[in-house]
Amino acid sequence: MKRENPVLEVKHLKKYYGKIKGIEDVSIQLNKGEIFGFIGPNGSGKSTTIRTIMHLINKTSGMIKIDGKEFDKDDIVLKEEIGYLPSEIFLYEDLTVKEMLDFHESFYKRDIHARRKELVQLLKLDEAKKIEDLSLGNAKKLGIILAFMHEPEILILDEPTSGLDPIMQQVFYQLLLEEKKKGTTILYSTHILSEVSKICDRIGMIKEGRIIKEERIEDMEKNSLTYLTIDSEEIEKIKKTLNLKVIMEQGTTIKFVNHLKPNEMMNLLSPFKINKLLVEEVTIEDLFLEYYK
Amino acid sequence: MLKRELKINGKSFMIWTSILVLLFLLVALIYPSIINHDNIQMMDEFMKLFPEEILKAFNMDISSIDSFYGWLKTEGFVFVLLITGVYASILGSNLLVKEEDDKTIEYLNSLPITRNHILSSKIVCGTIYIVLMVVMVGIFNYILLRLSGDFNEKQYLLLSITPLFSSLPLFVLNLFLSTFTHKTKKMLGISLGIVFISYFLQILSEINEVTEFLKYFTVYTLANIRHVITNVELQVSFVVISLLITLLFGIGTYIRYNKKELV
Repeated sequence: MKRENPVLEVKHLKKYYGKIKGIEDVSIQLNKGEIFGFIGPNGSGKSTTIRTIMHLINKTSGMIKIDGKEFDKDDIVLKEEIGYLPSEIFLYEDLTVKEMLDFHESFYKRDIHARRKELVQLLKLDEAKKIEDLSLGNAKKLGIILAFMHEPEILILDEPTSGLDPIMQQVFYQLLLEEKKKGTTILYSTHILSEVSKICDRIGMIKEGRIIKEERIEDMEKNSLTYLTIDSEEIEKIKKTLNLKVIMEQGTTIKFVNHLKPNEMMNLLSPFKINKLLVEEVTIEDLFLEYYK
Repeated sequence: MLKRELKINGKSFMIWTSILVLLFLLVALIYPSIINHDNIQMMDEFMKLFPEEILKAFNMDISSIDSFYGWLKTEGFVFVLLITGVYASILGSNLLVKEEDDKTIEYLNSLPITRNHILSSKIVCGTIYIVLMVVMVGIFNYILLRLSGDFNEKQYLLLSITPLFSSLPLFVLNLFLSTFTHKTKKMLGISLGIVFISYFLQILSEINEVTEFLKYFTVYTLANIRHVITNVELQVSFVVISLLITLLFGIGTYIRYNKKELV
């Protein structure tokens, strides 16, 4: 769904490494205060897209706009409005957490110390620890603080919860929702599909370097499909009549994805003798998995 | 950012400077017992056994090693040139690529700073340490010379700053080359190779007329110790060329680094 005045706009982004494809054609628009779930299987181009947006790698073609202005790699005014959390955190191991945070603070003109203190307390991070001694989870917490502490307008988060324990994940989701309330726009790249349905407003699914689906979570839930499992002696006739996409078949039992409304399906099935009928809701995760395949 | 660069590179600076300082301290301490009135003639006779080309390569044809200053002008400055060259090259090959090798560049790039800012901080840090190394070694040797006897102060001053004219181009050349790779390991071999091949070519170019052309392929030609010893002045044309090379590769580094893919 396209909207007016997107905060982050990516148009026909393409990245080739010589002749090797990174991403082919990625176009997404993120609106103010929106959490946009960026999902896709391994190697689909999620990280390439994010690294291209961040100008770590050079785009082959396409456009990246922030607040309607083309985002140049040296535009430090726009860079100040971005908080970036890479999937793997690599920081200066010779520093303590406190020194790292001080170093980070020194690059921002406005006073961000109060927010830093809040985040350190919220995520329960020990500032005296050396970065080289941090566990994966604590390093992730530090990465989150670094991305959030300057209260950016846009957050670009690549696999933000990997390494966080379940309690800290909940704290993080809460933090995200608070940011959303404040109007922060969030690009949320993840593999964890349950997260997407829980916190995202909209999803963009990338496969083989192209966006193959963009939809509001709300709409996906409204149009939710069902799985139907039928056991019948007339199963072959049913399959023929309904022209089904069968996902499981065992003797006289089949399971298929139902796109029809309940009464339409009942009408179609009424001529047949049915032994057993099981209706299950298709979760958003199931839908994503269908696309992944 | 410059403060951090100075901090993280301070340790290696201290180590490399200490190597030179300790070497000269050791030589200054033992030199009077090796070379004295009794054996200086024997030493001169011994030197005559060497081919003229070899003596020329170490400036021993224009300077006697009859004193600590004499040794400094000949063999001593070979060490200064080589060690400052190795230090400058390693620094140049490491400063930028280390961020990529350690993957900290992903963080650094996300900060509200330009790539030119990152590069400038690294160049300023490297230049400060190279100049500081030359100055510190120069001051230390000056003190040793004052304690050990008479020497030509002007000549010494010019000699002590001469290593800058090979070290600075080596630093920037390696910095430039490092923009073509992402791994420090790859660059280390290249940078050491450049220093030693350069020095070897410079020695070869001094040996005879046939190999003289090799001087055009080594940065050590620009640190013309020989000219300073004989004329008590810097060879201005070489100083200018050295600065031009430094500037040229500096500009090249800025252009390359701004286009470089950082991960």
